[in-house]
Amino acid sequence: MKTAVEKPAKSGNPLTGARRGFGRAMDRVRDRWADAPWWQRWTVYVLLIGLALILPSDFFASFMSPHTHWPSLLFNPIGVYILLAVGLNIVVGHAGLLDLGFVAFYAIGAYNMALIGTKFGWNFWAILPIGILMTAVSGIILGAPTLRLRGDYLAIVTLGFGEIVRIIAENTDAIGASRGITNIPHPPNMFGLEFLLDPLPYYYLLVGVVVAVIIFARRLERSRVGRAWTAIREDEDAAEIMGVPTFKFKLLAFFIGAMIGGLTGVVWASKVIAIQPANFPFILSATILAAVVLGGSGNLPGVMVGAFLIAWLPERFRGLADYRILAFGAALVIMMALRPEGLLPSRQRKAELSEGSGTEASAEVGK
Amino acid sequence: MLLEISDMRVHYGKIEALKGISLEVDEGEIVTLIGANGAGKTTTLKTISGLRPVSSGSIRFQGKNITKVPGHKRVLLGIGQSPEGRGVFPGMTVHENLLMGAYARKGDLSKDLEEVYGLFPRLAERKTQFGGTMSGGEQQMVAIGRALMTKPRVLLLDEPSMGLAPLLVAQIFDIIREINRRGTTVLLVEQNASQALQLAHRAYVLETGQVLKSAPAADLLNDPEVRAAYLGGDLGQPEEETSETG
Ligand SMILES: Nc1ncnc2c1ncn2[C@@H]1O[C@H](COP(=O)(O)OP(=O)(O)O)[C@@H](O)[C@H]1O
Ligand SMILES: [Mg+2]
Repeated sequence: MKTAVEKPAKSGNPLTGARRGFGRAMDRVRDRWADAPWWQRWTVYVLLIGLALILPSDFFASFMSPHTHWPSLLFNPIGVYILLAVGLNIVVGHAGLLDLGFVAFYAIGAYNMALIGTKFGWNFWAILPIGILMTAVSGIILGAPTLRLRGDYLAIVTLGFGEIVRIIAENTDAIGASRGITNIPHPPNMFGLEFLLDPLPYYYLLVGVVVAVIIFARRLERSRVGRAWTAIREDEDAAEIMGVPTFKFKLLAFFIGAMIGGLTGVVWASKVIAIQPANFPFILSATILAAVVLGGSGNLPGVMVGAFLIAWLPERFRGLADYRILAFGAALVIMMALRPEGLLPSRQRKAELSEGSGTEASAEVGK
Repeated sequence: MLLEISDMRVHYGKIEALKGISLEVDEGEIVTLIGANGAGKTTTLKTISGLRPVSSGSIRFQGKNITKVPGHKRVLLGIGQSPEGRGVFPGMTVHENLLMGAYARKGDLSKDLEEVYGLFPRLAERKTQFGGTMSGGEQQMVAIGRALMTKPRVLLLDEPSMGLAPLLVAQIFDIIREINRRGTTVLLVEQNASQALQLAHRAYVLETGQVLKSAPAADLLNDPEVRAAYLGGDLGQPEEETSETG
């Protein structure tokens, strides 16, 4: 069993030592956090939002992003990846469904913004709910026939879905085929923010959206829905015989994940003026999945840290020119080697992964 | 009749795992289903609890045809199951596992929890331990306790003795007897035939997806054919346990 795999690592391997130390430190942070009183948590939340708001300043830019325009980077890829990862985390991290085509929902959201914005001249705020709704419906269309499949099959079908959406966009003249759509309108000005070429207002908009989505995701996680997802992820049959309508809840996870993916697409498209099918490659689905796994699948702060690193590191390494991707890959490998369960896994997730390696002998005696 | 299965056929793809099984369980009984590995015991229980669809045949529960009722609704009707290999939620604590058993119903749970903790004092000591880090025997207790939290009229148990030390097997069987004494009907699947037959009122012997025999359990204990095939000749000898040292 798993214990057997762990054993050889115990013999004074320096990597193992580092791994243990790092893991323990991270776990302590998480446990402290779990036991912290409410006012401490709220102070941290407020500080984090404050930090997010001053993050685009030159001070942070000087060391966070010496090679690229920092506020642009903060919007995309950093902000966009974080929002996508929070959405995919609901599907993968909570419900335990391996979705390899998440980019499709991002694309559908973006195309809704682009199409409705250019064809009907609607306002961003009017398109936003429509884009989210259309994406959510597409989540149902994908999920309803496929969620009865398990594991590998679902992964393959979702991968296919992601590709199909992109290929349809490439071959449909009405939506610009491979040239895509240009002249997408920007959001109207508000709170004295002018949505033009400067990325800063878009970044603030994205911060607002991320905060709202986090609150929503957290509430879900702690509700009956969240408990049902956990049960499904851990043992689907057992969940069903506890009275959890597993199919419905899996569909709900797809629905909500798709909504967040679509939301991200709408916000992103409102900034970029032009979108093309090439903006939605499979590798983006894979990257977001990597962010979720790297950060700690199922744990919201972990997933956000993972997305931040995946988005930021390649830009930070830009000074290394051709070796940039190599450095990024090495960083990923090292992080996963140090912490295979993710940088900040939830306590729950750790227990799931350590299943079977419990203290069997002492308990088996029975009294 | 509480549970009535007639001519049930179940397929995995093209393979027919159950070839027309009929069995009955009456209110208050302990009925055991014994048979070799692959005979179709687990499939039978899964089909009763709604995890597998039937190809033909019917399942009636309390006189109602439930053949088409989805699994999560059968729980509410009173079919509780402790699955093969226990199926404990590893990332939930013992207490959370038990609460999952009451997921589908509302109301005050404190009395039911108290009853389960009373049956399994070991679980009361370990309420906050994660299911996945429990020993095999403790996980079995969690699985049975969790099934009891669904307030079943019939409790389906799939090999509760699997992988447990002899002492623990005896303890689990005592608890099953106690659960039955308090009014819950039990359908028990076992490979550990001798002990199951000593516990049950009636028994069915399953072989390659068919019912080979059905009789009062005591009769089967003395049936030469059953003794030769499932009891290995010597009575009361529980299966060998492979030690699970961590
Ligand atoms: N998921 C499955 N897919 C295909 N065949 C299965 C599956 N589960 C069980 N079977 C087959 O169905 C038959 C009955 O299995 P099972 O009900 O698990 O038997 P038992 O519990 O008596 O050991 C066996 O031949 C087994 O190989
Ligand atoms: Mg079995």
